[in-house]
Amino acid sequence: MARKLEESTGHKNGGMESGGCGFLMRSEITHDEHPLSLGKTSVWNQFFQDTETIEQIDRDVKRTHPDMHFFSGDTSLAKSNQEALRHILIIFAKLNPGIRYVQGMNEVLAPLFYVFRNDPDQNNAAYAEADAFFCFVELLSGFRDNFCQKLDNSVVGIRSTIAKLSELLKKHDGELWRHLEITTKVNPQFYAFRWITLLLTQEFNFADSLHIWDTLLSDPEGPQETLLRVCCAMLILVRRRLLAGDFTSNLKLLQNYPSTNISHLLYVANKLRGSSAG
Amino acid sequence: MASRRRMLLKVIILGDSGVGKTSLMNQYVNKKFSNQYKATIGADFLTKEVQIDDRLFTLQIWDTAGQERFQSLGVAFYRGADCCVLVYDVNVMKSFDNLNNWREEFLLQASPSDPENFPFIVLGNKIDIDGGNSRVVSEKKAKAWCASKGNIPYFETSAKEGLNVEAAFQCIAMNALKNEPEEDIYLPDTIDVAGGGRQLQRSSGCEC
Repeated sequence: MARKLEESTGHKNGGMESGGCGFLMRSEITHDEHPLSLGKTSVWNQFFQDTETIEQIDRDVKRTHPDMHFFSGDTSLAKSNQEALRHILIIFAKLNPGIRYVQGMNEVLAPLFYVFRNDPDQNNAAYAEADAFFCFVELLSGFRDNFCQKLDNSVVGIRSTIAKLSELLKKHDGELWRHLEITTKVNPQFYAFRWITLLLTQEFNFADSLHIWDTLLSDPEGPQETLLRVCCAMLILVRRRLLAGDFTSNLKLLQNYPSTNISHLLYVANKLRGSSAG
Repeated sequence: MASRRRMLLKVIILGDSGVGKTSLMNQYVNKKFSNQYKATIGADFLTKEVQIDDRLFTLQIWDTAGQERFQSLGVAFYRGADCCVLVYDVNVMKSFDNLNNWREEFLLQASPSDPENFPFIVLGNKIDIDGGNSRVVSEKKAKAWCASKGNIPYFETSAKEGLNVEAAFQCIAMNALKNEPEEDIYLPDTIDVAGGGRQLQRSSGCEC
């Protein structure tokens, strides 16, 4: 698939060069195909957009788990893994023109690719890129609205997802909710935006995120509901510190969540299930 | 209560993805540089105590995400800012060209009471790269733009080397303070005259 994309980009490049070289050809370029045209159908405009997207993807792929040899460094392993992430993100962006690439998608993709690439069966590991791509598309089908700017103010966008978390907290721990949002004025967007869009991948170390993801992906109620329960449990687990804190200390605590016993976190999250349905 | 509120100065850092916003903030607050920063998602938050003319203030610094997608979420972060720091990479022309967009987007979303005089500061970062040989935005060009936008203070920095970072943030703090300077001094005098209502409005404007 990656090859296909490269071929098509290469082809486009070639096509444009031949169009721009000959003076006689110029008169045949329609207004919409002018290099400065901002029209959506303009090949040039699409080319510039693609370049921008690919630059952004490159920048972020290089910054994916910079502390892990698997993803980062000059080794051939890291390089080939970065290439795979890059291919997947570029193809996803091309196939989803409404969203394209949004910063943070690299973090959601990384655990999937890591798990497939480290499959003990070499035959499976060889297809890690394709498998990760499939699962990434599948996973984002439930979360893509959070990445979409146009949906920010709709009932399915990130703001509404964050509001659901706030409701969940209010229902399970009204005192904590009041202290956080009313007394210390910590807008949940300040911390939960990253928690939710990245599915908690930046809040814990890599092994712990995988542990959480096992639950997110296997829960019969689906990853979205489960994620919100885990987020709510995270707040409840540090409730004593939050209740004693002001705006600054609370926001710092939630933006730098302390390492915690994940099994216990998931246990607490699971207990929120019963009443959240009611 | 009022005096405690005055002690807090809110600063927002804006600019294209990859220009070094997170690095600048961490160099200033923690005196550290790392090339292992992940992309900022949403906004990160740090504080630092600063001293200006024998008085202590808490600088509340918001490091924002650079990608355009996150701009519509900015309003929650921008509101109540006392100073806005615009960062570009001297080696990337586009990041300089975009300063205007960032400035306008900020004014639009934060809607400060006096947009003409709202304090901005521009930082041209990464001057260390390649010994300055790869830079594409000249100091002259940057200064000319700053002059055209109401004499915005301009600093050339290297977050990696720690060059000019302290000086830039000192200026940021001073300008943030200037944004609300007279209030604490004149408030007691104006409390029971007609101007009191106006004062009240202004203070409620900066609180939220």
